[in-house]
Amino acid sequence: MSDVKTVIWVHADNLNPHSQPFKLAAGAPALFVFDDALLQAWGITLKRIVFMYECLLELPVTIRRGDVLEELTRFVAEHDALRVLTSYSPSPRHAAICAALRQRLPRVRLEVLSEAPFVRAQQVDLKRFSRYWQAVKGEALTRTS
Amino acid sequence: MADMRRDFKDREELVAYLREQFPEAAARSPHVSPFIGGRTSAESRLAVSKFGAEYAQTRNYVTGSVTRLSPYIRHGVLTLAEVRDAALAQVSRAEDAEKFISELGWRDYWQRVYAQVGDKIWQDLEPYKTGFTADDYADELPDDIRYGETGVRFIDDLCKELFTLGYLHNHGRMWLAAYVVHWRRVKWQAGARWFLEHLVDGDPASNNLSWQWVASTYSHKPYYYNWDNVLRFTGKKYLNASPRILGNEAFLGTYEVIARRLFPNIDLEHDHSQPHQSPPKPTRFKQDGKKDKRR
Ligand SMILES: Cc1cc2nc3c(=O)[nH]c(=O)nc-3n(C[C@H](O)[C@H](O)[C@H](O)COP(=O)(O)OP(=O)(O)OC[C@H]3O[C@@H](n4cnc5c(N)ncnc54)[C@H](O)[C@@H]3O)c2cc1C
Repeated sequence: MSDVKTVIWVHADNLNPHSQPFKLAAGAPALFVFDDALLQAWGITLKRIVFMYECLLELPVTIRRGDVLEELTRFVAEHDALRVLTSYSPSPRHAAICAALRQRLPRVRLEVLSEAPFVRAQQVDLKRFSRYWQAVKGEALTRTS
Repeated sequence: MADMRRDFKDREELVAYLREQFPEAAARSPHVSPFIGGRTSAESRLAVSKFGAEYAQTRNYVTGSVTRLSPYIRHGVLTLAEVRDAALAQVSRAEDAEKFISELGWRDYWQRVYAQVGDKIWQDLEPYKTGFTADDYADELPDDIRYGETGVRFIDDLCKELFTLGYLHNHGRMWLAAYVVHWRRVKWQAGARWFLEHLVDGDPASNNLSWQWVASTYSHKPYYYNWDNVLRFTGKKYLNASPRILGNEAFLGTYEVIARRLFPNIDLEHDHSQPHQSPPKPTRFKQDGKKDKRR
């Protein structure tokens, strides 16, 4: 583990207590922000909020709500952090927040970490599932090494 | 803003707090799902899941041995790799868990498509192959569907499950989605938004792309079904009820009849080609309009 002051930004695509950020920076302050604009835009109902909240209660995180970028910026400042660890997400919204954070806090290093993949193959034809499956099946049926 | 609370003595207290914190979410639908969030529940469920022959043989039945791991997988509480490893540990030969692992593959596949197309996931990735254009479909979900009051019993039952559990069996999702898009001719986007409001496993990739698969905007033909298919995969539930009570007239008939009714502008082939997946056993899926894939 490096000595750089680190915080973890947890988001809804990875609520796993054994995620890479928690492994790499055990004990670091961690933040989850309920994205009010997203909850509103998607019309998310109570069921999902309760489920997510229960996941969060098993994680060592501070839970807030509001604007994710603002809250994250504030959290980084509160902890004088110079490094932020977060988990990979395919969501464009996640990418946009990462880009905005990098721009706003150029001295802070943001690292996006991936979990062990289902299959490693990268260049796969995604036109139809059958093509994908033909390409990855062998690896998919093999245990993670 | 102040930190949100973490000290609750039980679920009831947590739910009361969240109702107060998120009144709009609770007003949209007051239900709380029986799925309990967290790694502890995820691991317990993983430990009792069936991944081998029992899964493969029963997964298409709404009462079948599916895992119900989707909310945990969707929120990363379990990784696909570790679920796959658990499945392989349960069977003696890897092929015995192939059906199950290929379903995990569907999730990985949709995630990869999402990473490629981004927000275009909300647009038709291909044209409809139904003999209609997107303009022929309504933009908004009709209220009778939104509130589960269509008068079609099995559709309303599915809606109620969606509202109260935040979960539907895969077959139920397909039936409901095809009803919205093909029987009611509503844009898949309206249905997909509605599902995302309620599903505890709601995920833009798996949800929107599955809707596109049903609609035919990301597949080579529309998914549809008939009453025999519903009867067969719902067990005894609707077996002896009369059509008057079931309100199911629109689903009665052979696949040819239903196809002519739903897609009068085109001739849908009732072939047995299998472009998406390895062929299912010939007799099991005889009833299906789209025979290439049972999801
Ligand atoms: C219209 C429609 C909307 C859907 N929306 C979602 C959604 O928002 N989120 C979601 O996770 N799944 C969605 N699915 C896919 C599928 O229905 C669910 O993943 C599955 O029913 C979850 O139940 P299970 O965990 O018992 O599945 P199992 O059969 O036990 O499968 C194990 C896991 O494999 C994955 N999986 C299985 N089938 C599929 C599939 N067809 N596509 C993608 N992943 C799959 C899931 O992670 C699931 O937990 C949708 C399907 C349709 C037809």
